[in-house]
Amino acid sequence: SGQLYCSLPNPRNVRFESINMKNVLRWSAPEGTGEGVLYKVKYSVYGVGKWIRKPECRNINRTWCDLSSETSDYEEQYYASVKAFLNGMCSDWMETTRFNPLTDTKIDPPMVSVSSTDKSISIILTAPEKWKRSSEGESTSLLQVYPGLQYNVSVLNKKTKKRWWFSISNNTLVVPWLEPETAYCVSAQIYVTTPLLHSGFSKEYCIATLKDETA
Amino acid sequence: GPCRVSMSMTEIRSGFTAIKSNIQARDPIRTLSILSYPDSLHKVKSSDRCCITHHLFNFYVDKVFKHCKTEDSYVNRKISSIANSFLSVKRNLGQCHEQNKCMCGQESTDKFKQILANYEGLNVTSAAIKSLGELDILLDWLEKSR
Amino acid sequence: EDVLLPPQNISILSTNMKHFLTWSPVIVQGETVRYSVEFQGEYEREYANEMWLPICECSLITATVCNITEDISATVAYDLRVRADIGARRSKWGTLKVFFNRITTSLTPPLMKVIADGYHLLVKLEDMGPAFQFYVLYWKKGQESRMQQKVVKEVSSVVHLGTMEAGPDYCVKAQTYVEAINRSSSFSQTQCVRAQGGKSMWLV
Repeated sequence: SGQLYCSLPNPRNVRFESINMKNVLRWSAPEGTGEGVLYKVKYSVYGVGKWIRKPECRNINRTWCDLSSETSDYEEQYYASVKAFLNGMCSDWMETTRFNPLTDTKIDPPMVSVSSTDKSISIILTAPEKWKRSSEGESTSLLQVYPGLQYNVSVLNKKTKKRWWFSISNNTLVVPWLEPETAYCVSAQIYVTTPLLHSGFSKEYCIATLKDETA
Repeated sequence: GPCRVSMSMTEIRSGFTAIKSNIQARDPIRTLSILSYPDSLHKVKSSDRCCITHHLFNFYVDKVFKHCKTEDSYVNRKISSIANSFLSVKRNLGQCHEQNKCMCGQESTDKFKQILANYEGLNVTSAAIKSLGELDILLDWLEKSR
Repeated sequence: EDVLLPPQNISILSTNMKHFLTWSPVIVQGETVRYSVEFQGEYEREYANEMWLPICECSLITATVCNITEDISATVAYDLRVRADIGARRSKWGTLKVFFNRITTSLTPPLMKVIADGYHLLVKLEDMGPAFQFYVLYWKKGQESRMQQKVVKEVSSVVHLGTMEAGPDYCVKAQTYVEAINRSSSFSQTQCVRAQGGKSMWLV
């Protein structure tokens, strides 16, 4: 059978990209190879002796492979590796750096829901869920993964253009004594002190306080 | 009462994060872990946690850091930062140990013996660099069990 | 050629966990003197053969001050040394008279501005870096016994403390706390404000 020559240029920038512990291996195609390149992927648990092939990512032409299922235990650390093939030639195996799901994942902003009365607004924040195998699977909030998780909440008074900041550990916040019939915009961010992780800010959710019936 | 030791985890974490990829890149052995072989630290019973922590801080201060000198001055300064933070914690843990608040059961003694065996199974520089590269395994476990 | 004397009066200025090494200039007429700084932690003294580590940002500098904050990153006793260079001429090391431990840093009360926005009591705090938390105390004037406390770990601009009734003054003071050395500053000056509401609002 044809002898494979590993002289194909290597896949580049092989790395894990992780959001809420959905851990996807990504890479760039070898330089100057154009169409028709196929890839295969393997991964290993750090400290364990063997590489494991990922069948669903064998002879694929895309440049990513979802390894969330294989790397879902965030008490372990992992490596992954990619090899390219083209016209009977192949590249070397190209590895990631050591991947620690707990510290190397990015966290989405919290979900924000806001309601109002005439003089107050109530904010409920929901931390994102950790990736799970199937929608029927058991949900794990990132709050369980990062017990020290907190929220930074910004409340902007659209009339006065003044912004107030709140830092809370629980997921509800009531801001009383507000102006009736005034628009307030709320945005929130998650932050964890150790390991140091910050989500971006959620988009702004605006709501108006109601008319003051007693006036 | 329990052993309470203050630890500037944020500073240690940021020191390690600054050199993590540099140090881990110097460790080519994927198939062996000093801290996690054969069992993860997360399997340690809560009653043994203080003893293992005490042993591990002694291990890093007494054995590991001194063999981690690199040609990179920035990396060496970060290692010094972590080593001096560990020394500070080691002292506090030592006081707990002396006050019998950090008792060692058989399981923790066995686990630490395994860690030493893993360490001595490699040449000293490789073992030290591998141990330093596994610091986040220790920090993750410490934070989870806080 | 004369022997190049080592720098003298080597000391540390440390305020709010920012640490600076300073020394007196070595004067040699018509020459530019350059200085280099090295540090040694307690770990290096006791476990690493008294190794010294160079601070490259303060290597062959002409200034007589060096920001050592990044390297003084543990609560242990540090030693520091400085030497002078003129071309190929090099002085001996001059060292600190006493070791430095960051636990001795001087902590100043935080800069603080109290704001009343309608019936809301807010405070604007100075960002002093990741090592700092703030304990903010606030109370209705005359009811010091019912003081409330908020711990502010991450300083964003205007932090919401609570709500105020119309009429009485509300007072606020704050101190910093540094977990790494387990010390607090003294309290800031107390500042008092009053609710700015047109209508009076009664607590239900």
